[in-house]
Amino acid sequence: QDKPVQLKISTWVPAQHPLNPSLQAWADDIKKASGGTISSSLFPSEQLGKAFDHYDMTRDGIADLAYISPGYQPGRFPVIAGAALPFLFANGKGGTAALDEWYRQYAAKEMKDIKVCMAFVHDPGSLHSVKKVTLPTDVKGMKVRPATATVGQVITALGGTNVQASAPESRDMLERGVADAITFPWASLGLFGIDKVTKFHLDVPLYTTPYVLGMNKAKYDGMSAAQKKVIDDHCTTAWAEKIATPWADFEFGGRAKIAALSGHEMVKLTPDQLGQWKKAVAPAENQWAESVKKAGQDPAAVMNSLKQTLAKHNSGL
Amino acid sequence: MSSDAVALIGFVSLFVLMLLRVPVGMAMGLVGITGYSYLTGFAPAMKLIGQTSMRTVTDYTFGVIPMFMLMGAFVSISGVSKELFRAANSFLGHLKGGLGVATVVACGGFAAICGSSVATAATFAGVAYPEMRRYGYPKSFSSGVIAAGGTLGAMLPPSTVLAVYAIITQQDIGKLFMAGILPGMLALAMYVLTISILVRVRPDLLPAGKATSWGERFRGLKDVWAPLTLFAFVIGGLYGGLFTPTEAGGMGAGGAFLLGVLRRKLSRAQIREALLQATRTSAAVFTVLIGALLFGYFLTITQVPQKLTEMLTGLGLGRYGVLALIMVMYLVLGCLMDAMAMIILTVPIIFPVVTALGFDPIWFGIIIVMTVELGLIHPPVGMNVFVIKSVVHELSFSTIFKGVIPFVITDLLRLVILIAFPIIALYLPQRMG
Amino acid sequence: MQIVWEASLKQSFMDRVIDTIEWLAAIFVGLVALDIFVSVLLRKFFNTSIPDSYDFGRMLLGILIFWGIAATSYRGGHITVDLVWTNVGPRARRWIDVFATLVLLFVVTVQTITLFDKVRQTYIDNVLTYDMNIPTWPFFAIGWLGDVSAVLLIAIRTYRLVFQPEALEDKHDANYNE
Ligand code: NA
Ligand code: NA
Repeated sequence: QDKPVQLKISTWVPAQHPLNPSLQAWADDIKKASGGTISSSLFPSEQLGKAFDHYDMTRDGIADLAYISPGYQPGRFPVIAGAALPFLFANGKGGTAALDEWYRQYAAKEMKDIKVCMAFVHDPGSLHSVKKVTLPTDVKGMKVRPATATVGQVITALGGTNVQASAPESRDMLERGVADAITFPWASLGLFGIDKVTKFHLDVPLYTTPYVLGMNKAKYDGMSAAQKKVIDDHCTTAWAEKIATPWADFEFGGRAKIAALSGHEMVKLTPDQLGQWKKAVAPAENQWAESVKKAGQDPAAVMNSLKQTLAKHNSGL
Repeated sequence: MSSDAVALIGFVSLFVLMLLRVPVGMAMGLVGITGYSYLTGFAPAMKLIGQTSMRTVTDYTFGVIPMFMLMGAFVSISGVSKELFRAANSFLGHLKGGLGVATVVACGGFAAICGSSVATAATFAGVAYPEMRRYGYPKSFSSGVIAAGGTLGAMLPPSTVLAVYAIITQQDIGKLFMAGILPGMLALAMYVLTISILVRVRPDLLPAGKATSWGERFRGLKDVWAPLTLFAFVIGGLYGGLFTPTEAGGMGAGGAFLLGVLRRKLSRAQIREALLQATRTSAAVFTVLIGALLFGYFLTITQVPQKLTEMLTGLGLGRYGVLALIMVMYLVLGCLMDAMAMIILTVPIIFPVVTALGFDPIWFGIIIVMTVELGLIHPPVGMNVFVIKSVVHELSFSTIFKGVIPFVITDLLRLVILIAFPIIALYLPQRMG
Repeated sequence: MQIVWEASLKQSFMDRVIDTIEWLAAIFVGLVALDIFVSVLLRKFFNTSIPDSYDFGRMLLGILIFWGIAATSYRGGHITVDLVWTNVGPRARRWIDVFATLVLLFVVTVQTITLFDKVRQTYIDNVLTYDMNIPTWPFFAIGWLGDVSAVLLIAIRTYRLVFQPEALEDKHDANYNE
């Protein structure tokens, strides 16, 4: 008989966020599959620690499992940061499958202090601004709250400056003119009231944010072989897709809702304009390549692999 | 041992350590980490200390605390409390009870720059008390009105306790500051009313002071317009969406520094003193914040707050019954500890109950700060009273409490008004958009 | 004669150390205010910003708080519950003071050790600022030195409390916190 294990799962999104019920369902399935020997408590909304610290919390055993945003910390996880570069992902569901499959090649090396259970993305977000932005040159001189450090590098490359704020603070920053624009997924705009301030929305799948569900290594190693198998069976690409799907659907639905709101302008791009954007963000990709090289990987191979996996799951741009 | 038992032992040891004068933040941190270590393991507990300490002190939004403290320090060290009192007195002093009203008004003006109730009381114990005594005001009234007037410091923005409440409950600091304005002005008006009733009932109690010429009155205004303009600029900018709370504090500190230097009221030594005072007091507050977070993580894994919420909401007392219970608890705690410690220790536990009952979090912030401030002046012990006594040695506690009783009654009445009409607190923040 | 002279030299050395630490703390709070003040002016009037002013601001804030903890710990400026302390005699007061300071020393020492680990980890993990991608660990290290000073000052305070109680002048600013 396996000895009972109690897991603390930590997320930093508010309790009403679609990710929490997905994780709860995942934990319930683990409990069932383990014959009740692995039970979990879910702690949402930063109850166990701040968003930025979730990787460290997993490593240190403050949480046994945690929802991690590697992009919050510039320079720390260069490989996965590549998935945060603009114009890669077309959607959230297939995109999640692709990201998870791709990152499994690098996870053990890049996140060596934890056991990476799965990786996932949200449905692509875009740039939402107080004044109209059509061309990359419009970003020059703007103050932008980026989703990740990688997006931050893109903003810098375009001649804008970065404003840091947590998601709940973002609306305030935009209202007070500390920021003029924000990169954000579509439905979350409404969740945080940001749609009250930003009236212009670039109508392209601009970027997405890669996330990881990580597990404390000692906790995993301390389990019986049968329990480890239950965890392994739940740390799969299929489960990543299952967990990410409700959130992806939620964000995907947000775009149509914003488009239907009066007083909001969806800024469409011609193929030529889209081309200008792709050209303008290229320096950020070079910067990313440098950081990957420094970490001992071949950036071209890493990026090709990501693009191929995305194509395989029909999620590339 | 069950996690409930661990939580209980935690609370008991916390109180013992605090009564043995271990700094509140250190006691909370020590107990929190010990309990956490027992439940989760030693290694994660040690990591939690470093992580929580570093994350808390490098949180940009928390910068609001040292910045407003620095603004208050620059303004008060440049002598504005005396000028405020002199100006108010020149208009009101010749009336019966006028010196008392002038004290309340000057406290209100000072409160608009200084974030602390105890500092306001201490300042005016030095400035206004001797004047009131000189014109034959009784000791009890003179000290009582200062104790009460001091509480305006925490209600009118900026307010350190309101900022800390906002941080703990993840509410908007700017909105809480705005929510304090109308209740603070109501308090000021009700204190003035209390004094005029006292004058009616006992005409000989508060003699008239000396009359001042209009020329002198306007000369007095010349001294106070600058800090009051600074206040209007900072709070107006916050309300109008020009800057974030941290930025408002930074602008206020920068403005107060420039005003002090340009008006030749800040020497090099005074600048250093103001910087140091802001640093020390901010460090003291952050120590408590870090301790409270560590204690909070411990409580989270014991799941005591959830259980307490279920218990209290299941009592069948109704929303207002539970609210009354909470407020009585605060009045009792008011005999033990100061406002900051009370807020930090109890809000993480009480807040889930309050939101579960459907009360507005901004409104509750105002109610809780009013209750806690009442604790600072009501008998048998209270922080404002201690501080006034430490400034004016001739007073006894019973004398001060005797003088404060009319104002305690006023405050209780104001609490009832605020509970009946939440709009008084919520009107301005709702306008902010 | 010799012994008296040595004692006073040692005392004035300690006082100089304390003075320097307090000065450093004071300078950092001024720097944070300056950073915010200038950033707002630049934004409002020149529609521009200092790169990394946000990261600088928050890391300076961290430095100021740790150095401030040093200053406030030495001056006995922490927020305390004085109910028992004010109602007992001078002997009991001294015991309470010594006990409380020892606990303070213990807690801040543990904090300093864990913070060293945090700084070291930040160095290893290569965490950078947002705009200019400067390593953040040196800022954390300066903050950590403040906590080291706190341990040093609390040790001096404990020593003086036991052996030269007259040398301590407590500043109860902390009572004005709320
Ligand atoms: Na105030
Ligand atoms: Na009391």
